[in-house]
Amino acid sequence: MNIQTSKESSVMVVKVTGRLDAVTAPEYERQFTLLITDGETRFVVDFEKLDYISSAGLRVLLATAKHIKAKSGQIHLANIGGAVKEVFDISGFGSIFPMHESVASALNATVG
Amino acid sequence: MIKIEHLSKKFGDLVVLRDVTIEIKSGEVISIIGPSGTGKSTFLRCINLLDRPSGGAIHIDGVNILDPKADVSKIRQKMNMVFQSFNLFAHLSVMENLTIGPVKLLGMSRSDAERKSRDLLKLVGLAEKAYSYPDELSGGQKQRVAIARCMAMEPRIILFDEPTSALDPTMVSEVLSVIRRLAKDGMTMAIVTHEMDFARDVSNRVLYMDEGCIYEEGTPEEIFERPQKEKTRAFINRIRSFHYHIGTPDYDLYGMNAEIEMFCEKQILPMKTRQNVLLIVEEMLQLYTPWLRTTHLDMTIAYSEKKESLELVFESSGSALNLMDKNQSPDELGLTIIKSLTESIDYQRLGDKNRVLLILKKIVK
Repeated sequence: MNIQTSKESSVMVVKVTGRLDAVTAPEYERQFTLLITDGETRFVVDFEKLDYISSAGLRVLLATAKHIKAKSGQIHLANIGGAVKEVFDISGFGSIFPMHESVASALNATVG
Repeated sequence: MIKIEHLSKKFGDLVVLRDVTIEIKSGEVISIIGPSGTGKSTFLRCINLLDRPSGGAIHIDGVNILDPKADVSKIRQKMNMVFQSFNLFAHLSVMENLTIGPVKLLGMSRSDAERKSRDLLKLVGLAEKAYSYPDELSGGQKQRVAIARCMAMEPRIILFDEPTSALDPTMVSEVLSVIRRLAKDGMTMAIVTHEMDFARDVSNRVLYMDEGCIYEEGTPEEIFERPQKEKTRAFINRIRSFHYHIGTPDYDLYGMNAEIEMFCEKQILPMKTRQNVLLIVEEMLQLYTPWLRTTHLDMTIAYSEKKESLELVFESSGSALNLMDKNQSPDELGLTIIKSLTESIDYQRLGDKNRVLLILKKIVK
Protein backbone atom coordinates (compact mmCIF):
# COMPACT_ATOMS: atom_id res chain seq x y z
CA MET A 1 0.00 0.00 0.00
CA ASN A 2 1.08 3.53 -0.72
CA ILE A 3 -0.45 6.72 0.63
CA GLN A 4 -0.10 10.12 -1.05
CA THR A 5 -1.57 13.29 0.33
CA SER A 6 -2.31 16.66 -1.22
CA LYS A 7 -4.20 19.66 0.04
CA GLU A 8 -7.16 21.10 -1.87
CA SER A 9 -8.03 24.39 -0.10
CA SER A 10 -8.87 23.19 3.42
CA VAL A 11 -9.46 19.55 2.50
CA MET A 12 -6.81 16.84 2.73
CA VAL A 13 -7.01 14.48 -0.27
CA VAL A 14 -5.54 11.08 0.60
CA LYS A 15 -4.82 8.78 -2.32
CA VAL A 16 -4.51 5.12 -1.32
CA THR A 17 -2.85 2.70 -3.76
CA GLY A 18 -2.53 -1.10 -3.59
CA ARG A 19 -3.92 -3.27 -0.81
CA LEU A 20 -5.63 -2.39 2.44
CA ASP A 21 -5.37 -5.62 4.39
CA ALA A 22 -4.25 -7.07 7.70
CA VAL A 23 -0.64 -6.20 6.88
CA THR A 24 -1.14 -2.61 5.71
CA ALA A 25 -4.08 -1.52 7.89
CA PRO A 26 -1.87 -0.42 10.84
CA GLU A 27 0.10 1.84 8.48
CA TYR A 28 -3.13 3.42 7.17
CA GLU A 29 -4.20 4.16 10.73
CA ARG A 30 -0.78 5.56 11.64
CA GLN A 31 -0.78 7.98 8.68
CA PHE A 32 -4.27 9.25 9.48
CA THR A 33 -3.43 9.66 13.16
CA LEU A 34 -0.46 11.81 12.13
CA LEU A 35 -2.65 13.96 9.87
CA ILE A 36 -5.32 14.37 12.54
CA THR A 37 -2.66 15.23 15.13
CA ASP A 38 -1.45 17.88 12.68
CA GLY A 39 -4.89 19.44 12.89
CA GLU A 40 -6.47 18.14 9.70
CA THR A 41 -10.22 17.50 10.07
CA ARG A 42 -11.65 17.34 6.55
CA PHE A 43 -10.70 14.38 4.36
CA VAL A 44 -11.40 12.99 0.94
CA VAL A 45 -10.01 9.48 0.49
CA ASP A 46 -9.42 8.53 -3.13
CA PHE A 47 -9.68 4.74 -3.60
CA GLU A 48 -9.34 4.73 -7.39
CA LYS A 49 -6.06 2.81 -7.23
CA LEU A 50 -7.04 0.56 -4.33
CA ASP A 51 -7.10 -3.04 -5.60
CA TYR A 52 -8.07 -4.95 -2.51
CA ILE A 53 -9.68 -4.43 0.86
CA SER A 54 -10.40 -6.94 3.61
CA SER A 55 -12.27 -6.67 6.89
CA ALA A 56 -9.02 -5.53 8.52
CA GLY A 57 -9.02 -2.61 6.07
CA LEU A 58 -12.69 -1.83 6.67
CA ARG A 59 -12.15 -1.87 10.40
CA VAL A 60 -9.31 0.61 10.25
CA LEU A 61 -11.36 2.78 7.89
CA LEU A 62 -14.12 2.85 10.48
CA ALA A 63 -11.72 3.54 13.32
CA THR A 64 -10.13 6.53 11.55
CA ALA A 65 -13.57 7.84 10.55
CA LYS A 66 -14.63 7.73 14.22
CA HIS A 67 -11.44 9.49 15.17
CA ILE A 68 -12.17 12.23 12.61
CA LYS A 69 -15.82 12.55 13.70
CA ALA A 70 -14.66 12.91 17.29
CA LYS A 71 -12.76 16.01 16.14
CA SER A 72 -15.93 17.23 14.42
CA GLY A 73 -14.31 16.52 11.08
CA GLN A 74 -15.59 14.96 7.88
CA ILE A 75 -14.50 12.05 5.71
CA HIS A 76 -15.74 11.36 2.19
CA LEU A 77 -14.72 8.43 0.01
CA ALA A 78 -14.26 8.69 -3.73
CA ASN A 79 -13.81 6.33 -6.67
CA ILE A 80 -14.74 3.06 -5.01
CA GLY A 81 -15.05 0.40 -7.65
CA GLY A 82 -14.45 -3.23 -8.65
CA ALA A 83 -13.49 -5.72 -5.99
CA VAL A 84 -13.32 -3.02 -3.31
CA LYS A 85 -16.89 -1.91 -4.02
CA GLU A 86 -18.09 -5.49 -3.68
CA VAL A 87 -16.56 -5.80 -0.22
CA PHE A 88 -18.19 -2.51 0.77
CA ASP A 89 -21.54 -3.81 -0.45
CA ILE A 90 -21.20 -7.21 1.24
CA SER A 91 -20.32 -5.68 4.58
CA GLY A 92 -22.88 -2.90 4.48
CA PHE A 93 -20.13 -0.27 4.64
CA GLY A 94 -21.51 1.31 1.49
CA SER A 95 -24.27 2.85 3.56
CA ILE A 96 -22.03 3.99 6.44
CA PHE A 97 -19.74 6.23 4.42
CA PRO A 98 -20.61 9.02 2.05
CA MET A 99 -19.30 7.76 -1.30
CA HIS A 100 -18.68 9.80 -4.42
CA GLU A 101 -17.91 9.03 -8.00
CA SER A 102 -15.00 11.41 -8.23
CA VAL A 103 -12.62 13.34 -6.04
CA ALA A 104 -14.17 16.57 -7.37
CA SER A 105 -17.69 15.66 -6.23
CA ALA A 106 -16.31 14.45 -2.90
CA LEU A 107 -14.56 17.80 -2.49
CA ASN A 108 -17.78 19.66 -3.28
CA ALA A 109 -19.64 17.65 -0.68
CA THR A 110 -16.93 18.28 1.89
CA VAL A 111 -16.75 22.01 1.39
CA GLY A 112 -20.54 22.24 1.19
CA MET B 1 -8.58 -67.55 -15.82
CA ILE B 2 -5.76 -65.36 -14.51
CA LYS B 3 -5.09 -65.18 -10.82
CA ILE B 4 -2.45 -62.75 -9.62
CA GLU B 5 -1.33 -62.93 -6.03
CA HIS B 6 0.89 -60.48 -4.15
CA LEU B 7 2.68 -59.46 -7.29
CA SER B 8 5.59 -57.09 -6.71
CA LYS B 9 8.18 -55.46 -8.93
CA LYS B 10 11.26 -53.47 -8.03
CA PHE B 11 13.74 -51.76 -10.30
CA GLY B 12 16.81 -51.60 -8.08
CA ASP B 13 15.62 -49.74 -4.99
CA LEU B 14 12.57 -48.37 -6.73
CA VAL B 15 9.43 -50.24 -5.76
CA VAL B 16 6.95 -49.92 -8.61
CA LEU B 17 4.47 -52.60 -7.64
CA ARG B 18 4.12 -53.31 -3.94
CA ASP B 19 1.41 -55.89 -3.68
CA VAL B 20 -1.11 -56.56 -6.41
CA THR B 21 -3.70 -59.27 -6.03
CA ILE B 22 -6.50 -59.74 -8.51
CA GLU B 23 -8.38 -62.33 -10.48
CA ILE B 24 -9.41 -61.80 -14.08
CA LYS B 25 -12.22 -64.01 -15.29
CA SER B 26 -12.85 -65.13 -18.83
CA GLY B 27 -14.86 -62.55 -20.79
CA GLU B 28 -14.11 -59.71 -18.43
CA VAL B 29 -13.05 -56.32 -19.66
CA ILE B 30 -10.94 -54.59 -17.07
CA SER B 31 -9.80 -50.99 -17.28
CA ILE B 32 -6.78 -49.92 -15.31
CA ILE B 33 -6.68 -46.23 -14.55
CA GLY B 34 -4.57 -44.02 -12.32
CA PRO B 35 -1.95 -41.27 -12.36
CA SER B 36 1.23 -41.66 -14.40
CA GLY B 37 4.05 -43.50 -12.72
CA THR B 38 1.92 -45.65 -10.45
CA GLY B 39 2.85 -48.95 -12.09
CA LYS B 40 -0.07 -49.54 -14.49
CA SER B 41 2.08 -50.38 -17.50
CA THR B 42 4.58 -52.29 -15.38
CA PHE B 43 1.68 -54.33 -14.07
CA LEU B 44 0.66 -55.33 -17.63
CA ARG B 45 4.26 -56.01 -18.61
CA CYS B 46 4.66 -58.26 -15.57
CA ILE B 47 1.55 -60.24 -16.45
CA ASN B 48 3.06 -61.35 -19.75
CA LEU B 49 6.58 -61.42 -18.40
CA LEU B 50 8.03 -58.61 -20.50
CA ASP B 51 9.21 -57.50 -17.07
CA ARG B 52 10.08 -60.24 -14.64
CA PRO B 53 8.11 -59.75 -11.39
CA SER B 54 10.18 -59.54 -8.19
CA GLY B 55 7.72 -61.55 -6.17
CA GLY B 56 4.26 -63.10 -6.02
CA ALA B 57 2.50 -65.54 -8.27
CA ILE B 58 0.61 -65.41 -11.56
CA HIS B 59 -1.58 -68.40 -12.33
CA ILE B 60 -2.98 -68.80 -15.80
CA ASP B 61 -5.50 -71.61 -16.10
CA GLY B 62 -3.96 -73.05 -12.96
CA VAL B 63 -0.30 -72.87 -14.06
CA ASN B 64 2.06 -70.60 -12.14
CA ILE B 65 3.91 -68.81 -14.92
CA LEU B 66 6.61 -67.57 -12.55
CA ASP B 67 7.69 -71.14 -12.05
CA PRO B 68 11.20 -71.36 -13.61
CA LYS B 69 10.07 -74.43 -15.53
CA ALA B 70 7.18 -72.59 -17.18
CA ASP B 71 7.33 -72.23 -20.97
CA VAL B 72 7.31 -68.45 -21.34
CA SER B 73 6.79 -68.22 -25.10
CA LYS B 74 3.87 -70.62 -24.92
CA ILE B 75 2.36 -68.55 -22.11
CA ARG B 76 2.79 -65.36 -24.10
CA GLN B 77 0.76 -66.84 -26.92
CA LYS B 78 -2.17 -67.03 -24.56
CA MET B 79 -2.02 -63.34 -23.88
CA ASN B 80 -1.04 -60.84 -26.45
CA MET B 81 -0.26 -57.22 -25.95
CA VAL B 82 -1.08 -54.02 -27.84
CA PHE B 83 1.44 -51.28 -27.22
CA GLN B 84 1.20 -47.53 -27.11
CA SER B 85 3.62 -47.26 -30.04
CA PHE B 86 2.09 -50.01 -32.24
CA ASN B 87 5.36 -51.99 -32.62
CA LEU B 88 4.52 -53.26 -36.10
CA PHE B 89 7.29 -54.74 -38.24
CA ALA B 90 8.03 -51.81 -40.54
CA HIS B 91 9.65 -53.96 -43.26
CA LEU B 92 6.66 -56.28 -43.56
CA SER B 93 3.33 -55.57 -45.22
CA VAL B 94 0.16 -55.50 -43.13
CA MET B 95 -0.67 -59.03 -44.25
CA GLU B 96 2.81 -60.29 -43.36
CA ASN B 97 2.60 -58.60 -39.98
CA LEU B 98 -0.56 -60.57 -39.33
CA THR B 99 0.54 -63.94 -40.70
CA ILE B 100 4.10 -64.18 -39.40
CA GLY B 101 3.06 -65.20 -35.88
CA PRO B 102 0.44 -67.81 -36.75
CA VAL B 103 2.74 -69.38 -39.42
CA LYS B 104 5.94 -69.42 -37.40
CA LEU B 105 4.65 -69.95 -33.87
CA LEU B 106 1.32 -71.72 -34.27
CA GLY B 107 2.37 -73.77 -37.31
CA MET B 108 -0.61 -72.59 -39.33
CA SER B 109 -0.44 -72.96 -43.10
CA ARG B 110 0.17 -69.72 -44.99
CA SER B 111 -3.15 -69.91 -46.82
CA ASP B 112 -5.08 -70.49 -43.58
CA ALA B 113 -3.20 -67.66 -41.91
CA GLU B 114 -3.96 -65.31 -44.81
CA ARG B 115 -7.64 -66.21 -44.87
CA LYS B 116 -7.89 -65.60 -41.15
CA SER B 117 -5.92 -62.37 -41.45
CA ARG B 118 -8.27 -61.07 -44.11
CA ASP B 119 -11.23 -61.69 -41.77
CA LEU B 120 -9.45 -59.89 -38.99
CA LEU B 121 -8.58 -56.94 -41.20
CA LYS B 122 -12.25 -56.74 -42.15
CA LEU B 123 -13.11 -56.74 -38.47
CA VAL B 124 -10.89 -53.73 -37.83
CA GLY B 125 -12.03 -52.03 -41.06
CA LEU B 126 -8.74 -52.29 -42.94
CA ALA B 127 -9.28 -55.04 -45.51
CA GLU B 128 -8.14 -52.73 -48.31
CA LYS B 129 -4.80 -52.09 -46.60
CA ALA B 130 -3.66 -55.73 -46.57
CA TYR B 131 -0.71 -55.06 -48.85
CA SER B 132 0.23 -51.63 -47.56
CA TYR B 133 3.29 -51.11 -45.38
CA PRO B 134 3.05 -49.64 -41.89
CA ASP B 135 4.64 -46.36 -43.03
CA GLU B 136 1.76 -45.84 -45.45
CA LEU B 137 -0.80 -45.94 -42.63
CA SER B 138 -2.03 -43.32 -40.20
CA GLY B 139 -1.48 -43.83 -36.46
CA GLY B 140 -5.04 -44.99 -35.96
CA GLN B 141 -4.75 -47.47 -38.81
CA LYS B 142 -1.43 -48.79 -37.47
CA GLN B 143 -2.98 -49.40 -34.09
CA ARG B 144 -5.92 -51.21 -35.65
CA VAL B 145 -3.47 -53.42 -37.55
CA ALA B 146 -1.65 -54.07 -34.26
CA ILE B 147 -4.92 -55.16 -32.69
CA ALA B 148 -5.69 -57.46 -35.66
CA ARG B 149 -2.18 -58.90 -35.38
CA CYS B 150 -2.84 -59.63 -31.73
CA MET B 151 -6.08 -61.38 -32.56
CA ALA B 152 -4.33 -63.48 -35.22
CA MET B 153 -2.54 -65.33 -32.43
CA GLU B 154 -5.91 -66.31 -30.94
CA PRO B 155 -5.01 -65.11 -27.46
CA ARG B 156 -7.14 -65.86 -24.40
CA ILE B 157 -6.62 -62.31 -23.23
CA ILE B 158 -5.38 -59.08 -24.78
CA LEU B 159 -3.43 -56.60 -22.71
CA PHE B 160 -3.70 -53.03 -23.96
CA ASP B 161 -1.05 -50.61 -22.78
CA GLU B 162 -2.41 -47.11 -23.40
CA PRO B 163 -3.49 -48.00 -26.93
CA THR B 164 -4.58 -44.48 -27.86
CA SER B 165 -2.12 -42.25 -26.08
CA ALA B 166 0.24 -41.92 -29.05
CA LEU B 167 -2.59 -41.02 -31.42
CA ASP B 168 -3.94 -37.72 -32.71
CA PRO B 169 -7.27 -36.98 -31.06
CA THR B 170 -9.02 -37.50 -34.41
CA MET B 171 -7.85 -41.13 -34.54
CA VAL B 172 -8.65 -42.15 -31.00
CA SER B 173 -12.26 -43.07 -31.67
CA GLU B 174 -11.53 -45.47 -34.56
CA VAL B 175 -9.23 -47.48 -32.28
CA LEU B 176 -11.61 -47.38 -29.34
CA SER B 177 -14.49 -48.56 -31.48
CA VAL B 178 -12.45 -51.60 -32.54
CA ILE B 179 -11.75 -52.39 -28.87
CA ARG B 180 -15.44 -51.92 -28.09
CA ARG B 181 -16.28 -54.39 -30.82
CA LEU B 182 -13.92 -56.98 -29.30
CA ALA B 183 -15.49 -56.42 -25.89
CA LYS B 184 -18.92 -57.11 -27.37
CA ASP B 185 -17.60 -60.33 -28.91
CA GLY B 186 -16.59 -61.49 -25.42
CA MET B 187 -12.82 -61.04 -25.66
CA THR B 188 -11.09 -60.94 -22.29
CA MET B 189 -9.13 -57.71 -22.01
CA ALA B 190 -7.13 -55.64 -19.58
CA ILE B 191 -6.76 -52.06 -20.74
CA VAL B 192 -4.50 -49.40 -19.28
CA THR B 193 -6.05 -46.14 -20.43
CA HIS B 194 -6.42 -42.45 -19.78
CA GLU B 195 -9.68 -42.31 -21.76
CA MET B 196 -12.07 -42.13 -18.83
CA ASP B 197 -15.33 -42.11 -20.80
CA PHE B 198 -14.15 -45.15 -22.70
CA ALA B 199 -13.07 -46.97 -19.52
CA ARG B 200 -16.43 -46.21 -18.06
CA ASP B 201 -18.57 -47.66 -20.80
CA VAL B 202 -16.43 -50.52 -22.10
CA SER B 203 -15.40 -52.25 -18.86
CA ASN B 204 -17.05 -54.59 -16.39
CA ARG B 205 -14.56 -53.65 -13.75
CA VAL B 206 -12.26 -50.70 -13.15
CA LEU B 207 -9.03 -50.87 -11.19
CA TYR B 208 -7.69 -47.62 -9.84
CA MET B 209 -3.95 -48.04 -9.30
CA ASP B 210 -1.94 -45.84 -6.98
CA GLU B 211 0.95 -46.30 -4.58
CA GLY B 212 2.00 -49.49 -6.38
CA CYS B 213 -1.15 -51.42 -5.66
CA ILE B 214 -4.80 -51.63 -6.64
CA TYR B 215 -5.92 -48.78 -4.46
CA GLU B 216 -9.61 -49.19 -5.23
CA GLU B 217 -11.62 -51.39 -7.56
CA GLY B 218 -15.24 -51.62 -8.51
CA THR B 219 -17.78 -51.44 -11.26
CA PRO B 220 -17.43 -48.41 -13.55
CA GLU B 221 -20.38 -46.89 -11.71
CA GLU B 222 -18.76 -47.39 -8.31
CA ILE B 223 -15.41 -45.96 -9.36
CA PHE B 224 -16.67 -43.06 -11.45
CA GLU B 225 -19.81 -42.10 -9.52
CA ARG B 226 -19.03 -43.03 -5.94
CA PRO B 227 -15.29 -43.46 -5.43
CA GLN B 228 -14.77 -44.28 -1.76
CA LYS B 229 -11.12 -43.49 -1.15
CA GLU B 230 -9.47 -40.11 -1.13
CA LYS B 231 -6.94 -40.57 -3.93
CA THR B 232 -9.51 -42.16 -6.22
CA ARG B 233 -11.84 -39.23 -5.65
CA ALA B 234 -9.05 -36.75 -6.32
CA PHE B 235 -8.16 -38.52 -9.55
CA ILE B 236 -11.71 -39.01 -10.82
CA ASN B 237 -12.76 -35.45 -10.07
CA ARG B 238 -9.40 -34.19 -11.31
CA ILE B 239 -8.73 -32.43 -8.05
CA ARG B 240 -5.61 -30.34 -7.70
CA SER B 241 -4.78 -29.08 -4.29
CA PHE B 242 -2.57 -26.65 -2.47
CA HIS B 243 -1.53 -27.00 1.16
CA TYR B 244 -0.25 -24.42 3.57
CA HIS B 245 0.74 -24.83 7.17
CA ILE B 246 0.48 -21.91 9.56
CA GLY B 247 2.24 -22.34 12.86
CA THR B 248 2.56 -18.77 14.15
CA PRO B 249 0.42 -15.62 14.38
CA ASP B 250 3.25 -13.85 12.52
CA TYR B 251 2.65 -15.80 9.33
CA ASP B 252 3.79 -14.31 6.04
CA LEU B 253 0.50 -13.27 4.41
CA TYR B 254 2.09 -11.99 1.22
CA GLY B 255 4.36 -15.01 0.81
CA MET B 256 1.32 -17.24 1.17
CA ASN B 257 -0.76 -15.07 -1.18
CA ALA B 258 1.92 -15.37 -3.86
CA GLU B 259 1.78 -19.17 -3.58
CA ILE B 260 -2.01 -19.20 -3.70
CA GLU B 261 -1.98 -16.96 -6.77
CA MET B 262 0.50 -19.26 -8.45
CA PHE B 263 -1.73 -22.25 -7.69
CA CYS B 264 -4.82 -20.45 -9.02
CA GLU B 265 -2.96 -19.41 -12.13
CA LYS B 266 -1.98 -23.01 -12.82
CA GLN B 267 -5.64 -24.03 -12.66
CA ILE B 268 -6.47 -21.10 -14.96
CA LEU B 269 -9.01 -19.74 -12.51
CA PRO B 270 -10.57 -16.38 -13.38
CA MET B 271 -9.16 -13.25 -11.75
CA LYS B 272 -12.33 -12.75 -9.72
CA THR B 273 -12.09 -16.25 -8.25
CA ARG B 274 -8.48 -15.64 -7.29
CA GLN B 275 -9.43 -12.43 -5.52
CA ASN B 276 -12.22 -14.14 -3.65
CA VAL B 277 -9.92 -16.96 -2.57
CA LEU B 278 -7.35 -14.49 -1.25
CA LEU B 279 -10.03 -12.55 0.59
CA ILE B 280 -11.56 -15.63 2.21
CA VAL B 281 -8.13 -16.88 3.25
CA GLU B 282 -7.21 -13.57 4.82
CA GLU B 283 -10.54 -13.36 6.66
CA MET B 284 -10.22 -16.92 7.92
CA LEU B 285 -6.69 -16.33 9.15
CA GLN B 286 -7.82 -13.17 10.89
CA LEU B 287 -10.45 -15.20 12.72
CA TYR B 288 -7.86 -17.78 13.72
CA THR B 289 -5.13 -15.30 14.68
CA PRO B 290 -5.90 -15.20 18.43
CA TRP B 291 -5.52 -18.99 18.54
CA LEU B 292 -2.39 -19.28 16.43
CA ARG B 293 -0.09 -18.90 19.40
CA THR B 294 -1.26 -22.20 20.81
CA THR B 295 -2.53 -24.12 17.84
CA HIS B 296 -1.47 -24.85 14.29
CA LEU B 297 -3.63 -24.38 11.26
CA ASP B 298 -3.52 -26.44 8.09
CA MET B 299 -5.14 -24.99 5.04
CA THR B 300 -5.98 -26.88 1.83
CA ILE B 301 -7.32 -25.29 -1.31
CA ALA B 302 -8.70 -27.95 -3.64
CA TYR B 303 -9.93 -27.34 -7.15
CA SER B 304 -11.96 -29.96 -8.99
CA GLU B 305 -11.47 -29.48 -12.70
CA LYS B 306 -14.32 -31.81 -13.44
CA LYS B 307 -16.86 -30.11 -11.18
CA GLU B 308 -15.22 -26.72 -11.59
CA SER B 309 -15.58 -26.25 -7.87
CA LEU B 310 -13.19 -24.81 -5.34
CA GLU B 311 -13.04 -25.95 -1.74
CA LEU B 312 -11.11 -24.54 1.17
CA VAL B 313 -10.42 -26.70 4.20
CA PHE B 314 -9.07 -25.34 7.48
CA GLU B 315 -7.98 -27.80 10.12
CA SER B 316 -6.83 -26.84 13.58
CA SER B 317 -6.05 -28.87 16.65
CA GLY B 318 -7.05 -28.07 20.21
CA SER B 319 -10.35 -27.89 22.03
CA ALA B 320 -13.62 -27.73 20.10
CA LEU B 321 -14.01 -24.34 18.47
CA ASN B 322 -16.33 -23.37 15.66
CA LEU B 323 -15.29 -19.96 14.41
CA MET B 324 -18.01 -20.14 11.79
CA ASP B 325 -20.62 -19.83 14.54
CA LYS B 326 -21.16 -16.14 15.08
CA ASN B 327 -21.56 -16.63 18.83
CA GLN B 328 -18.06 -18.10 19.05
CA SER B 329 -16.41 -15.99 16.39
CA PRO B 330 -14.39 -12.96 17.42
CA ASP B 331 -15.30 -11.00 14.34
CA GLU B 332 -18.68 -10.70 12.71
CA LEU B 333 -17.45 -8.51 9.87
CA GLY B 334 -14.97 -11.12 8.63
CA LEU B 335 -17.61 -13.80 8.97
CA THR B 336 -20.08 -11.76 6.93
CA ILE B 337 -17.56 -11.47 4.11
CA ILE B 338 -16.78 -15.20 4.23
CA LYS B 339 -20.47 -16.11 4.19
CA SER B 340 -21.23 -13.92 1.24
CA LEU B 341 -18.46 -15.46 -0.88
CA THR B 342 -19.25 -19.09 -0.10
CA GLU B 343 -21.95 -21.48 -1.20
CA SER B 344 -21.69 -23.59 1.91
CA ILE B 345 -19.87 -23.65 5.23
CA ASP B 346 -19.48 -26.85 7.17
CA TYR B 347 -17.92 -27.33 10.60
CA GLN B 348 -16.96 -30.73 11.94
CA ARG B 349 -15.20 -31.90 15.05
CA LEU B 350 -13.01 -34.82 13.94
CA GLY B 351 -11.06 -36.48 16.76
CA ASP B 352 -9.09 -33.67 18.36
CA LYS B 353 -9.39 -31.47 15.29
CA ASN B 354 -11.68 -28.69 14.18
CA ARG B 355 -12.39 -28.84 10.50
CA VAL B 356 -14.05 -26.14 8.47
CA LEU B 357 -14.98 -26.80 4.86
CA LEU B 358 -15.90 -23.86 2.67
CA ILE B 359 -17.20 -24.26 -0.88
CA LEU B 360 -16.80 -21.13 -2.92
CA LYS B 361 -19.65 -19.60 -4.86
CA LYS B 362 -19.15 -20.06 -8.55
CA ILE B 363 -18.36 -17.00 -10.56
CA VAL B 364 -20.82 -16.55 -13.37
CA LYS B 365 -18.70 -16.02 -16.45
